[in-house]
Amino acid sequence: MSAAPGTTPVQAPTTAARPDEGFLAGMWLIVTLDLKQRVRGVAWYVLLGVFVLLVTIVTGLLVLATNAWDDGGGGVFSTIVFFVLLLGTLVSPALSGNAINGERDAGTLATTQVTLITTAQLVVGKWIAAWLTALAFLAASLPFLVFAVALGQVSAPTIMVSVLVLAIELGVIAAIGVGLSGVLTKPLFSVAVTYLVVAALSIGTLIAFGLGGTAIQTTVRQTYVGVDWQALEQDGPPPAGELAPCLPPDIREYPTPRFDLVWGFLAANPYVVLADAAPGTFDEYGSPRDLFGWIAVGVRSAQHAPETDALIDDCATWRPSGEYVQPDVETPQDVYDRSVPSWFVGLTINALLGGAALFWAWRRTEVPARRLPSGSRVA
Amino acid sequence: MRAVMVMRLPRPYADGRAHATPTRPGTRPRRLSTGPTAIPARRRTTPLDSDRLRGGGRDGGTVGGITVERVARSFGEVEAVRHASFSVPPGHVAGLIGPNGAGKTTLLLMLATLLTPDAGSIRIAGFDPVTQPREVRARIGWMPDTLGSWPALTVRDALTTSARMYGMAKDAASARSARLIDLVDLRPLADRPTRVLSRGQKQRLSLARALVHDPEVLLLDEPASGLDPGARVALRDLVRRLAGEGKTVLVSSHVLAELEEMADTAVYVADGVTAAADAVAAAGRSARQWRVRALHAERLREALIAAGFGTVAHIDHLGAIVPLASEADAAQLLAHLVSVGVPVSSFAPAVGDLEHVFLDLNRAGPPPAASAPDPAAPIDGEARA
Repeated sequence: MSAAPGTTPVQAPTTAARPDEGFLAGMWLIVTLDLKQRVRGVAWYVLLGVFVLLVTIVTGLLVLATNAWDDGGGGVFSTIVFFVLLLGTLVSPALSGNAINGERDAGTLATTQVTLITTAQLVVGKWIAAWLTALAFLAASLPFLVFAVALGQVSAPTIMVSVLVLAIELGVIAAIGVGLSGVLTKPLFSVAVTYLVVAALSIGTLIAFGLGGTAIQTTVRQTYVGVDWQALEQDGPPPAGELAPCLPPDIREYPTPRFDLVWGFLAANPYVVLADAAPGTFDEYGSPRDLFGWIAVGVRSAQHAPETDALIDDCATWRPSGEYVQPDVETPQDVYDRSVPSWFVGLTINALLGGAALFWAWRRTEVPARRLPSGSRVA
Repeated sequence: MRAVMVMRLPRPYADGRAHATPTRPGTRPRRLSTGPTAIPARRRTTPLDSDRLRGGGRDGGTVGGITVERVARSFGEVEAVRHASFSVPPGHVAGLIGPNGAGKTTLLLMLATLLTPDAGSIRIAGFDPVTQPREVRARIGWMPDTLGSWPALTVRDALTTSARMYGMAKDAASARSARLIDLVDLRPLADRPTRVLSRGQKQRLSLARALVHDPEVLLLDEPASGLDPGARVALRDLVRRLAGEGKTVLVSSHVLAELEEMADTAVYVADGVTAAADAVAAAGRSARQWRVRALHAERLREALIAAGFGTVAHIDHLGAIVPLASEADAAQLLAHLVSVGVPVSSFAPAVGDLEHVFLDLNRAGPPPAASAPDPAAPIDGEARA
């Protein structure tokens, strides 16, 4: 306190309340406040350093392992993007999962809430700040992506779409983290639950897909028609233009999993969203050029119901000359092209999840508080 | 109530203005504006009150200040505030007094637009914190009992950010924060991160933040805890000065001596119930201890024994503590002592007015909430311990 308080005017220089203060201005104030605090801590730089180191190692190993100098870097690029998503999903909950309840614990939440900053500005600002922090990791990995691109053969749309979707997925995880930090009281608990949600999306969807598909089984009736080799040996090869002697059809029935009924689970997987969103590029044999393509083909082929009445007719394709007639088999590209793209469904599911978490946090954090969760305080 | 003050100099004020302000007469009559009746205290016809209301308050005195009527709030099974009714007119400093767990902080949280009351109504500067929180927030400065600060920000940044949260432009906000840093004497630490501040320094930062938008109503929860004596004096002067400017101040504190010097009204609360005005008045009138000192201790002792106080008075080398039933008795005893030639140097209540009322109210049981539709159930003393 000043020794001579009489000399210091107490009046504020301007009128304090400007009721029409824009939503964005107030929100941005929260964003900059949050970022300022993060940037001035050491922890964040350490994380960023470790992250860059890991990406460097992975890139180096990938280049050696995939012979990327020769095949054009498509595999390297897609793997690095996945790796960035993996690390992003591992780091982001720790950065966002205590955004609101951490402030409450520190005693700075209520002092913000008694100002003209609204709860919506606070929650959205926290989310944007957490998202920007996660995007810094993406930015740090850009040199490696550029390197992968420099190896050649990665199309511009693939780069743009995959980086964009990656950024959105990081935003979704930030939203879930900030949302849960507003819903749950204890920072440790909300960080852990955020990790669980991320794990549910990344691994849980795979488990649900695998188990769900195997649990629902359909019996497939397969008819096999083989060449009657015995008759062929006795009678000699048939004259040209005639068919080979065939065995009677062999019919067998067996159960097969119905992944076509549960492929929707996979759609919500962030990795699948990323892979499916990137435009597929295929080589001349119809095979995908990168990891994205293979995953997309895998997911899309799961959309199709198994043929319940399959016929394999070896006899029809046998030629006495010994020439092998290629049966009419689909290439991966054919499967890809005749299936429904799932990425926008998955992205919508993820965005709704993040949005719902933020909305819930907003409702829970709104003051004046009518009902408080047991064991929590406003301030 | 402090009818007799011998050899006690008026309290000094650094700026010399406090004495001149109308809210701060030299011998200060303590008006207790507590009252659970539906009629707000400001409508009661105490001459001083109506006088203040005409002159004080920027809003003409009729809508400003704090009015709390029949407010209740519980957390699950726990009834933190059961029946709170009081009002603080503009230009007044009210002490919020009560034992731990009495509901003081809950009450302040409701005033600070952070908690919704279950029942009753609150008006701050004429606005309802539940339905018009924005209007209320623009007008209140709240200093919480938990000391929080953004640890990585400097003192200056923290205050500037707070100012900007009230919609101030960048330049105005930094000018304001510079002024407040001087006001709370944090200039040497202005560019250090707030995490290095000591408890008392954080307390001062918290006070500066509460003042950042020049609020007309101040809610201070334990503002003096952790402050050194110099800072306490400065806080007291600042609070009095703000009241002199027509602001309304509600201060909660356990340090009653401190409130004694700062507050001109008091709100007593125990078990979530504010004390009724008559209970407070009765407590104020009850028998209390008076401390008497004389230049000649032996002569004082003899005079007291001669006057028949030998068995009830507690006499030691510092002087004597004498139980007296009323202020009239006190005046009489003083006159007697002076007339028999005892060189009395000090004659004053042993405990402050606030402490006396506080202790008396708590001794008597929970304060009766007069005309309350749900009278406070009697609760044994242990529950409040």
